[in-house]
Amino acid sequence: MLNRIPILSRVSEGFSNAGNHYAIRNFRNALGKMLDSRMTMVYASFLVFVLLLGLVGPWIAPYDATDRIRGEDGELLRGEPPSLDHPLGTTEVGYDVFSRMLIGARPTAISGLLGGTIIITIGSLVGITAGYVGGRTENVLMRMTDLVYGVPLIPTAIVLIAFFGVGFIQSILVIAFVLWRGSARVLRSQVLQIKEREFILASKATGTSTPRIIMKHIFPNVATMAVMFFAIGVGYTIIIQAGLSFLGVVDPFVPSWGVMMRNAYASGQVGNYWWWSIPPGLMIAFTVVSTFMFGRSYERISGGGDDEGAMVQAG
Amino acid sequence: MSKVRYYVLRTLQTVFMLWLAATLLFILFRSMPGDFTDRMLFAGADPAAVEAFREDWGLNDPLYVQYYRYITNLAVGNAGVSLEYRVPVIQYIRMRLFNSFILIAPGITFAYLLGSLYGLLAGMKRGSIIEKYGIIPIIFLGAFPSFVTAIFLIVIFASWLGWFPTGGLITADTRRLFADAPWWRRYLTGDFLWHAALPFTAVVCRYLFLPSLIMRTSVFEVQGQGFIFYNRITGLPAVNRLRHIAKHASLPVITLYPVSMTRAIGGLVLIEIVFNWPGIGAALVDGVLARDYPVVQFVFFLIAAFIIIANYAVDIIYGIIDPRIAVEGE
Repeated sequence: MLNRIPILSRVSEGFSNAGNHYAIRNFRNALGKMLDSRMTMVYASFLVFVLLLGLVGPWIAPYDATDRIRGEDGELLRGEPPSLDHPLGTTEVGYDVFSRMLIGARPTAISGLLGGTIIITIGSLVGITAGYVGGRTENVLMRMTDLVYGVPLIPTAIVLIAFFGVGFIQSILVIAFVLWRGSARVLRSQVLQIKEREFILASKATGTSTPRIIMKHIFPNVATMAVMFFAIGVGYTIIIQAGLSFLGVVDPFVPSWGVMMRNAYASGQVGNYWWWSIPPGLMIAFTVVSTFMFGRSYERISGGGDDEGAMVQAG
Repeated sequence: MSKVRYYVLRTLQTVFMLWLAATLLFILFRSMPGDFTDRMLFAGADPAAVEAFREDWGLNDPLYVQYYRYITNLAVGNAGVSLEYRVPVIQYIRMRLFNSFILIAPGITFAYLLGSLYGLLAGMKRGSIIEKYGIIPIIFLGAFPSFVTAIFLIVIFASWLGWFPTGGLITADTRRLFADAPWWRRYLTGDFLWHAALPFTAVVCRYLFLPSLIMRTSVFEVQGQGFIFYNRITGLPAVNRLRHIAKHASLPVITLYPVSMTRAIGGLVLIEIVFNWPGIGAALVDGVLARDYPVVQFVFFLIAAFIIIANYAVDIIYGIIDPRIAVEGE
């Protein structure tokens, strides 16, 4: 699919050395296959749309996040319903909802990407090490994972964030440092199966070093699962970060969609000013749905089938 | 490993986990920057009075004395006094715990019944439209953050249609009416059900997708097994066949039920806040924002203890249902 687009194929020729690396080749082929399915195309386009908004949103927004809109008579436009000038109306203090929607994509994209990256990094480090090395290392790492499984995520995040600083980045870190548990557990069990296969034995017999076996033979075989957990991790981080913003324990001056919903709810006019609460809610929900469905179809295409177990563990 | 040894070990482990949770909480809350007396000073209290307060409450004692007092008090069910409300924490939390429970227990149970039924229907006919696309709306519901679902419910059913109240447990009239009645009487009113309808729906929406997905996959697997084929060739009516399939396919779903229950107790916070529902999740957030350490500490301990004890109960029950677990260890 990608090779059918002239520019992309030329670009990939230009990077032919890098492009021939098995990881990139796998990823490109999988992506090409996935985009052939129409529904996946919809989810993927939506994710790209959110990422683009995150990049350029603050520049194309007609007003600043804290611009208070005044009408012709100099009065603040409070709770103005949608109109041509303000496609999504204004808030109770006169902010332009449409602009804040555009600006709010950036915190969402950041929280998803940062959270997903940390989750899959810790998760695969712990899971692959425990699975491959085994013995006492495995015991210690897995008891640690069990312990983290006992941690109630949202209450813990509320207490830690509220007491140790209400920053935006801190909230993502707290979430990610709990949610790696699912990927660690599942990746470990996958590695346990893979390391019994003959090609691992063959590499060992030829004297390949452990790090090299892990990087070259173990990791590519669990990469599908890792991508799936990355996608689910992105989704869950976004959900929970938005939830914490909504509760008001995270910095309220980062204009994320979660903070918008909090302001709309706290104004006590959530029913009257529906244009203020429903658009950010839908955007959060669609972003999360897209990451989940994207992860699922990636896994299905790479031959994993519908693995509901991952959905269960990741939460 | 013998069965008795497994149960004894598991019990000891559970007691150890409870102790560990309490100790970690003690360490966490003692390492918090600042305490309640800082707020008193900030509010302009006399430093001498604050010093007397610290002496009175034992805040100047060495940490191990404080720790000993904390653990022994917790063991006999004394969780201190709420700094905000000036009542014993247990008394403040007791009703809220019940309020949370009466929201999640029926909510999760109903979500599991409905989800299993839906999963069964979706999984029955492989390749049919409901199998292929029927699961997508369920995943959509599951991916909606619970506070978004809750706010949408409020906007649509409370504000626009006006069918249900926007929040709270009961109206003030009902509260007055049953002021002298026993505490449980107010939960048996239509007014309570009317208030509980939207939060209940929000809980069901949030937890519906897990049982549906698992049931669907499980039904696929069971259908491939020999006894279902046997049922078919003996000409068993479809309804009876469905019952056989449901019975076998529901095992993984039953395994997950307690897992959802333990997760829900933590995840309930958002739904309680949106619907202004006086449960322990709302108590946690209020306590954190007011720096009411004893309440926060105890609510947190309750949630952790609930998870630990639920896991313990599940292991014990499985040990009875499936003796292999007890014998083989994990």
